[in-house]
Amino acid sequence: MPVRVVLENTPTPSHVSAVTPRRRSVQSCTLLCAGQAFSGTQNVSSLQKDEAWRVNVRLQGCDLEHGYLCGTMEALNVPMADTPVVTFWEGEIVDARNYTFFTGKWEAAPEDDIRHWTKFTSFSPLLSQVEVDGGKSMDLSNYPYIFMRWKEQYFVNVGTDCGLTIAGFYYVCFSCSDGSISGFYYDPNSSPFQKLELKATNDGRSGFSFSSYELQ
Amino acid sequence: MPASRPSSDQILHRLSSSEYEIKLKAIREVKNQIIGNRTKKLSYIKLGVVPAVADALAEANADSDNGANLIVQSTAVIGSFACGVDEGVRAVLDAGAFPHLIRLLSVADEKVVDAAARSLRMIYQSKLAPKFEFNKEENMDFLLSLLRSENENLTGLGAGIVIHSCETRDEQNILCHAGSLEKLVGGLDGSMSQRDASLESIATILKNNPGAVSKFVELQNGRALRSVIELTRDRFSRTRLLACLCLICIKNSSSCFLQDIAIKTKLIYILLELLDDSGQVGEEASFAFSSLVAGKEDLQKLAFEANAIDKFYNHLQNPELNSKRLEGIFLALGDLCSKLECCRSRFMSLQVLNLLINALTHDEANVRTAACICLKTVSRSIKNLSAGYFMNERIVIPLVRLLSDLCTSVQVAALGAISNIVVDFTPNKSTIIQCGGIKELVHLTKSMDSSLRLNAVWSLRNMIFLADKMCKEAIFMELTASSVATLICDPEPSVQEQALALVRNFVDGCMDCVEFAFAENGIILDAVGRQLKKSPRIEIIIQGMYAVSNIASGNEFHKEAIMQMIFPQAESGPQSFLSQYLQSNDSRLRTSAAWIIVNLTAPASPGAFGRIAKLRNFGLVAQIKRMASDPCMDVKLRARVALGQIISFGDS
Repeated sequence: MPVRVVLENTPTPSHVSAVTPRRRSVQSCTLLCAGQAFSGTQNVSSLQKDEAWRVNVRLQGCDLEHGYLCGTMEALNVPMADTPVVTFWEGEIVDARNYTFFTGKWEAAPEDDIRHWTKFTSFSPLLSQVEVDGGKSMDLSNYPYIFMRWKEQYFVNVGTDCGLTIAGFYYVCFSCSDGSISGFYYDPNSSPFQKLELKATNDGRSGFSFSSYELQ
Repeated sequence: MPASRPSSDQILHRLSSSEYEIKLKAIREVKNQIIGNRTKKLSYIKLGVVPAVADALAEANADSDNGANLIVQSTAVIGSFACGVDEGVRAVLDAGAFPHLIRLLSVADEKVVDAAARSLRMIYQSKLAPKFEFNKEENMDFLLSLLRSENENLTGLGAGIVIHSCETRDEQNILCHAGSLEKLVGGLDGSMSQRDASLESIATILKNNPGAVSKFVELQNGRALRSVIELTRDRFSRTRLLACLCLICIKNSSSCFLQDIAIKTKLIYILLELLDDSGQVGEEASFAFSSLVAGKEDLQKLAFEANAIDKFYNHLQNPELNSKRLEGIFLALGDLCSKLECCRSRFMSLQVLNLLINALTHDEANVRTAACICLKTVSRSIKNLSAGYFMNERIVIPLVRLLSDLCTSVQVAALGAISNIVVDFTPNKSTIIQCGGIKELVHLTKSMDSSLRLNAVWSLRNMIFLADKMCKEAIFMELTASSVATLICDPEPSVQEQALALVRNFVDGCMDCVEFAFAENGIILDAVGRQLKKSPRIEIIIQGMYAVSNIASGNEFHKEAIMQMIFPQAESGPQSFLSQYLQSNDSRLRTSAAWIIVNLTAPASPGAFGRIAKLRNFGLVAQIKRMASDPCMDVKLRARVALGQIISFGDS
């Protein structure tokens, strides 16, 4: 979800260090598949006022083998926008195979990473090992939570001159059990720890529905 | 200068003359006139000159000087007729010259042998040449005698026979076991023509044959392989290309060969450089490049780093490119963009798409097909699909037109591209609907050709992914419930799978969409149920199970219909498919089965209590309890949710 622009130059993010692709990727979870939708809020409160934007997320692609997923994020009541603002984001799944807990780019130092990951209670059992090596020696394939970073790539329905920025990224924790998502937006130039809270939605159904596509 | 019209009475008469001088002069005259002149060849073939020359050949006596002279000249004429003109090859074969030429290979006169071998090589360059039977012992003896000969024309003929007739794995193995590779390797040190013939026939024997490749790389302690690698630096471009093709056959047979990054990079650079050749080598280089990088992410990455996309793009900008070149370049770009986002991104930023769009309306079917294949792989980018780069009239209109192309391979390729670009994550597919795309796609789902049916259903399945109700209704009205049911029971399993995935997507979305499954007295639901009970294929069952699960997430009526499908009789009968799939060895299938239970027992639905009682009576609750400790996390979590819902109604 975009946030307000703060007019400062941001340096180019560094590349993530390569991880030897030997470990098992995280197990597939039907609630984390293309087509699944989530809705909730992002708290954008500042010292001046409390504020939360309604947010809808739709997963458009998920490739566990490569630790990749992507989708769109729609912010509904953005004060400075006439319409809901939709962004396309791409995600890195922390699987100790393609990506570790250490971001290594986007202006996030290991201390920033730890500071954000520890906000998730489900991260506590992993903390000591992550402090040692970023978690690259862990087997996360059976862990009931999936940790990710979501980085917005472009605005889908508004121009870049909309007064909003997508410079930061989200630390995300997904619960495989009920599909709920917690996240914290990180951008050194924005309010810290803006919390994202989403729940799986079901289009008014009495249960869960799953569609699918397959690219050729 | 106007060419003289050949007169049948004159030339035919002289060719059949009993006087040696007249006959020889006539044969020479024909030879001089047809050399490199296709029109003249065709005109003489029409006149019946070929049988006359073949008769002269058959009648001549190789043991006399005059006879040998006649044989050499008439053999040269026959070879010339066969060179590059299929009609000529056909005429030569019809005239019965072929066995005479074979016979002449064993005469004592070297000039006669040379002439016959050259002529036979010409014939073997054509697809019309008779198939050489490698499984006959005497034939193999003959072939090996050619390959081990000191005479370059005979070894060249041997190589030509291999290139022409070796097609199957069995034939490759016969040649391999008979020691032909050892003989052909000898030719790698010979003249340019010998090197090229050897390289091409080695590649023919090695292609897609890991056993032959293993034998070759060990030949002479790896010296044979080193010779081929060395020839990639030859000064002749055709030799470099053929050496590359040999190495590609080796590389493609097993990932353990030619792992060295330097060789892989070298192959890429050589092939990209060969594209600059203005002749046949340049044409073939892009096809060789395709087979080198197809399906191999590491090679695609190296090619990307070698600026391959820019290089192909530069060639594409030449408006004079012939159709073979265009086809090869689009296929190469297609393979290059098949896996890596960085390649697709470069393709898009260079705006190669504009040139590709032009190629969609090219006169040659092969070019149209290649352009569609390229578009299919470029559009595998979710990032670009989501940005809407492909769903626009400039692309969709010509693609939809190609759905009624006269050539089936074009139609299939166009469907491949369409099935990707319709995944644009927008709810209304107005662009494709407005240009008549649905009508064309639905029409092709009824095709006699199974690949057209498969790809048409696949396109529709992708098209209704996340589509709104209006879009789904438009497709459903055109397609009809009975056609969907027919496709679910299609003779081709792959079509069944896509048809069930189509139903799964139809009944996803808003609650009203579930009704699609109940149209025409539930004909679709019945077909889904039949497949779930009888299909042995996991992929088909998974799609069917999710279709059922999606329906089970509907209202009371929908849930009860699914209960009726699972338990058709009130009392216990044969084990239900649901019970069977809950115990499947495939975790994906167990997951889908668990979701059905989750949806049927959703606590907010009024009939949940009754359904739970029924599930318990049939032993499914006990099964779910066991699954709460399933080794697959997804199954385990769904089972626990289902169990939690069941317990909320009171567990017994």
